[in-house]
Amino acid sequence: MTGALGTVVEVFVSGMAKASLYAMMALGLTLIFGLLGVLNFAHGSLTMVGAYVAGLVMVTFATGSGLAAVGWFLVAALVAAVLVGGVGAVMEVGLIRKLYDRPPIYQILLTFGVTLVIDELARIVVLFYGLQPRADWRGALGTKPGFVDSNTALLGASVPNLELFELAFGVLTVVAVWAFLTQTRYGLVVRAGSEDDEMAAALGVDVRRVFTVVFALGAGLAGLAGALLMWDPAWGASVPLASETLLPAFVVVIVGGLGTFRGTVIAAGLVGMVDAVTTYFFNEGIITFSGISELTIFLILVGVLVVRPQGIAGLAEVGGH
Amino acid sequence: MSLLEVEDVHTYYGESHVLEGVTLDVEEGEVVALVGRNGVGKTTTLRSILQLTPPREGDVRYDGESLVGLDTHEVADRGVGWIPEDRRVFAHLTVEENVRLSVPPGSDEEAGLETAFEAFPDLREFADRDAGTLSGGQQQMLSIARGLVNENELLLVDEPSEGLAPLIVENVAESLQAVAEDTTLLLVEQNLPLALDLADRFYVVDHGEVVDEGSTEGVATDDERFERLSA
Repeated sequence: MTGALGTVVEVFVSGMAKASLYAMMALGLTLIFGLLGVLNFAHGSLTMVGAYVAGLVMVTFATGSGLAAVGWFLVAALVAAVLVGGVGAVMEVGLIRKLYDRPPIYQILLTFGVTLVIDELARIVVLFYGLQPRADWRGALGTKPGFVDSNTALLGASVPNLELFELAFGVLTVVAVWAFLTQTRYGLVVRAGSEDDEMAAALGVDVRRVFTVVFALGAGLAGLAGALLMWDPAWGASVPLASETLLPAFVVVIVGGLGTFRGTVIAAGLVGMVDAVTTYFFNEGIITFSGISELTIFLILVGVLVVRPQGIAGLAEVGGH
Repeated sequence: MSLLEVEDVHTYYGESHVLEGVTLDVEEGEVVALVGRNGVGKTTTLRSILQLTPPREGDVRYDGESLVGLDTHEVADRGVGWIPEDRRVFAHLTVEENVRLSVPPGSDEEAGLETAFEAFPDLREFADRDAGTLSGGQQQMLSIARGLVNENELLLVDEPSEGLAPLIVENVAESLQAVAEDTTLLLVEQNLPLALDLADRFYVVDHGEVVDEGSTEGVATDDERFERLSA
């Protein structure tokens, strides 16, 4: 039986794993909004496409078990990121670019329309291949190696290896994106181009290309998040994954302070931990009420909007009504 | 052939006809001042050259080749730099990052940093600070330093003394004089004594047209002409 310390460790690791997933869902969204000012309502759909692409690679090509399967997963995640990133690049060049000078409502309506198209296309494809669009894709879930499905003893707790895997994957992704933005010349170009596109262009930066790269990067991160969710039985590859991930992603981005990288990471940590704690108390502790974690996430959103409308790391607006 | 030739340029903001046929040229090695009242089209002339606000009529030639139809980054790649009004440093980037970004790809960033810090020693002290936290004068230094390391043959300098204390204006003038030793400058400046001090020639712009031009030599001591230009 798990002791008090073990319970704390289990809840903490669960919270951090959830935080990783929320950060993965929200990173691309916050990059695209923070750097381009575009609220991409198609982000959840891109995550869903990433989950299906990664699942398809795993189901079709993955062989072996143990570390070999994890290696194949990394290949599948890379394929999902590149393909979905490519979709993002096409979206930016073909659709979004024409609307940069228009009010934000145009971009919201456009990306919402793209969501409807992608979701319907996905529904048609999965029905065509005999998969149930509303259930998680069991075949893809089944490609997970046995040791990822088992537990590890840690400080008196029994921690699921899947949570440790999600935590490691999320942390590596956050560090990689941070390093790209702050430690590379192209990251510098991206930050400059998003702050003042005219000045960056006058210094020789091809700003249009930078915007395409940023959108592709944000979409690619959605694809990567989808790959990670494809292996998690709480999520799984399914058409509704689009809306299931879009809402928490928006909550994390708003709580963090629209478009701030640091705020998004902190908010993901906060939402993940609160989710884990409330899930523990209401599922296993006080009473059984499984819908509480979703409710809690939105309560955090309401609380932050009331107390600190600009979010954790956002700048306060001056004036307004 | 002049380094820069602006020929009968007409530029609009929406339906507003701002430049109504500006014509001017800048020879290699010169400092040329564009003077005139607020809102007569001086900044728009620079923006038209850079293709930030592309002209609807007329031509802009740099080193004999037309710039019209190019993207701004392509104009920059040809060697035309910009020190804009209000400095426009990247506020969320550090001073060092602002300078590094201005060094053209393939050039030595460390050498660029050293050039900037030698020209403006104060900037070395603030290298790790966000540029947005600098004072107006320090931001102007950074803006000029960016132009310096951007390896331009022609620099378009817009109102470098605007909003600065007199002592800082002197520093800025000295810095621009140093830059002008190996860079051609087209300078927009409302501070007439400063413009005349720095420039070899001047153009007066009014209502989107060039209405006067000449050498700056002797203007500062020619009371009647100085008064007319000041007006």
